Amino acid sequence: MSRFLIALVALVTLSGCVSLNSVSLTQVPNDRNNLISSTAHDWLFLGFTSQNDFVEEAVNGLKEQCKGGKLTGILTKHQTTAYVLVFKREIIASGYCNKA
Amino acid sequence: MYKITLYGILLLMTACARLDHVQISDIDQSQGSLKPISVKVSEFAIELAVIADVSSRLATNHNTQNSLKEIRDILALMNMGPRTGNPVFNDNYAENVLEQLYAQCPTGKITGLRSTREATTYGAVSGEIVRLNAFCII
Repeated sequence: MSRFLIALVALVTLSGCVSLNSVSLTQVPNDRNNLISSTAHDWLFLGFTSQNDFVEEAVNGLKEQCKGGKLTGILTKHQTTAYVLVFKREIIASGYCNKA
Repeated sequence: MYKITLYGILLLMTACARLDHVQISDIDQSQGSLKPISVKVSEFAIELAVIADVSSRLATNHNTQNSLKEIRDILALMNMGPRTGNPVFNDNYAENVLEQLYAQCPTGKITGLRSTREATTYGAVSGEIVRLNAFCII
């Protein structure tokens, strides 16, 4: 019985359901050889949080990978994965870096 | 009175940030150094149906409770449908954000624009926020 309960709890906890909150894409360049990506996330318990600062981590990640270049064709996804009582919010950004 | 104070404290303590939409635009680091700039506008919003619901629970008179529940249902029906956040009473609050952003960038060259729609919620009331973060090329 306890094994069944543990398996049930593990199944429910690990089967996170993802919802896509928003998607955006900017102008895509001709030169698409150097694709870079960056992600940032935070964890919420019961959905409570007091900040959305993790978004900037994704931007800083993109900037770091394209120093002195031009980053275009940026695809930004904002998604939330719901586990039991816990939520993971994610920003997934990717784009093409061109260093002329 | 004790109940009202308790509800008030609870609402104030549960200030919660909400993130609805994020958009990141092209980032150009080839034309010079970047200075971060930011504009945030916020509008007071209230979920009146929730206020009516809480009021009906707090009311001691049975007739008042029923009336407040009816008001709650009418308000809920009025605001039914797809929306982002609580309803605001002024829908022009985010109109001048671009001018405010340019005011912070003397060169007029803005890159890496991040448009964020978010909110800070305190139970039934919230601050519905539009935030623009960007870099000014200097």
